[in-house]
Amino acid sequence: MRILIVEDDTDTNQFIARGLAELGHQVVTSGDGRDGLFHATDGGFDAMVVDRMLPGLDGLALVKALRAAGNMTPVLMLTAVSGIADRVEGLEAGADDYLVKPFAFTELAARLHALGRRPSAAAEPARLTAGDIVLDLHRRTVTRAGRKIALQPREFTLLAELMRNPGRIMTRTMLLERVWDFDFDPKTNIVETHLSRLRSKLNAGFDSDPIETVRGAGYLVRDGG
Amino acid sequence: MKRWWRGTFGLVAAVALGFALATLVIGAVVFETTHEALELQLDHRIAIETQALIDEGQDGHEGVAAAIRRREAARSTASLGYRLVDSQNRPVAGSLDTTVPPKPGYVELLPYKVDGEERIAQSLTTVLPGGYRLLVGADRAAIDEMDNRFIVLFLGAFGAMLLLGVGAAWLVGIVTRRRLARIDHTAAAIIAGDLSRRVPLTGSGDEFDGVATTLNRMLDRIVGLMENLRQVSSDVAHDLRTPLTRLQNRLDEALRERNPELQREAIEAAAGEAGELLEVFSALLRIAEVEGMAARAHFQPVNLSLVVADVAEAFRPSMENSGHQLVTSIEPNLTLPGDRRLLQQMLTNLLDNASQHTPKGTTVRIAIDGTHNGIRLAVTDDGPGVSESEAPKLFNRFARVDRSRSTPGHGLGLAMVAAIVAAHSGKATIAARPGFSVSIEL
Repeated sequence: MRILIVEDDTDTNQFIARGLAELGHQVVTSGDGRDGLFHATDGGFDAMVVDRMLPGLDGLALVKALRAAGNMTPVLMLTAVSGIADRVEGLEAGADDYLVKPFAFTELAARLHALGRRPSAAAEPARLTAGDIVLDLHRRTVTRAGRKIALQPREFTLLAELMRNPGRIMTRTMLLERVWDFDFDPKTNIVETHLSRLRSKLNAGFDSDPIETVRGAGYLVRDGG
Repeated sequence: MKRWWRGTFGLVAAVALGFALATLVIGAVVFETTHEALELQLDHRIAIETQALIDEGQDGHEGVAAAIRRREAARSTASLGYRLVDSQNRPVAGSLDTTVPPKPGYVELLPYKVDGEERIAQSLTTVLPGGYRLLVGADRAAIDEMDNRFIVLFLGAFGAMLLLGVGAAWLVGIVTRRRLARIDHTAAAIIAGDLSRRVPLTGSGDEFDGVATTLNRMLDRIVGLMENLRQVSSDVAHDLRTPLTRLQNRLDEALRERNPELQREAIEAAAGEAGELLEVFSALLRIAEVEGMAARAHFQPVNLSLVVADVAEAFRPSMENSGHQLVTSIEPNLTLPGDRRLLQQMLTNLLDNASQHTPKGTTVRIAIDGTHNGIRLAVTDDGPGVSESEAPKLFNRFARVDRSRSTPGHGLGLAMVAAIVAAHSGKATIAARPGFSVSIEL
């Protein structure tokens, strides 16, 4: 992916840029809001990382200006404050996702990856498939190799979220946000227990596990369809 | 002294001056109107008298002269004077000692003499047949006297109002300054460092006391916040020393280690410690943000019953796995204005605590029901509980009971709960034994 980083803190900027370059992404960096907007409107980016507090033009204004100009490049916004109200503000301004500093690089990479080529809600198909698993979003049913599997509502949402992003790592915090709508991290291992229950229901009678655990990062469903 | 009218003295003085000037204007108008009316009345009287003389004299100057003489003899017209002259200005009748004007008509200020003393009269000259001229005059003393009295009266009123106004301004100024001085002294003392000072009240309940009470409440709040801040910074410094020391030790180990695999392990452990420290800071920041009430701005109606049900269901599998029993008792559709995510976090923290600090086999209950003045929420367990002395401190940052020193955590969960409850204008209490129970009224 071609990624633009707009972040005035040089250390953070380089930390993100190096990490993304190591993953094989093409990276352009900017340390200033106006300069960042200039690069962004130039176009050709698959995703952007924008810090909320920037010299020249702050992150919110940058995203607003970009969206007003009809540029819909996915934006991941970074913030240094815990931002209870900031999150809402950021998303309202047109950012697609929000990450609070400090963050683990794997978290940033996973979120960026999930942002790129994200299908819009209107274009989402009614059925998701991964290997021999078929998930029907309208009827809320799951079958594996034609066999019906009964899931609890949260287990269904969890599987749907993983299958919506085939081949992309979903981190624990991403799942907490998207499945449970929690913007904090409970000490109790909610995601793990739900995943293990989901797995045992999905895999009963089968010898392969469609959900992969990526150590230290998250979970993913392979794009095996 | 720029903008003197902004001060109390200036303000009251300006109002008094305004009133005094108004009195003066009213006086001038009344004076002018009355004066005109009196003059008209006098003219009218002179005209009637002149007509009467002419009528009595049957158009002849002899008859008029006779009528004048009759009146002067009878002294019936003391306030009026007469003078009849022929065409050569020779007096024919009448004792009014003056020069009769050559032209007919009114003359407002006609000098005349009484016993050699000069006086002023208002007069009407009428031309009679044969070149005779008749003058009827009235003394203006009455009008002049009235004028003088008027002027004295209104100037007096003007002066009195000015004096009164300045006096009132001076008094109001003194009172205001004295009351403000108390606030000033208190503020100066606080600036000098004595934060315990408060503005003294007179007990009269007047507007000065009102301002003083509000100021004192503001000072209480500021002192409370400062105390909180002092407490927090010392707590942070104290409680972060241990993990920072551990971090340093791990890094030292990594530096000394020659075996690359063990070195990597030590670095990973150090990174873990750093991550945990950052987590503590994030939690502290979040608590501080919630305490700063910035959250209130975006409050929206939240169905707390649904939030409780959702969070309970999220925890149920994990709690069952760890051998806990979760029992819920939820009254549906209890709604309050709030921040849904914060309320989720409040419940999550309480359930985190219940499942981490109680042994296997413990039953955890969540109950939510409506009361006459809000919502009551209770998270209760039948575990070992905490001692009576420990219970009240648990809402403080980094507070941990001795029993849980060995379990992971930083003692920030309940502090966050307390902050969230406070942001929603609620009240949270901890019951010590039996079991452990947090009750929240929202």
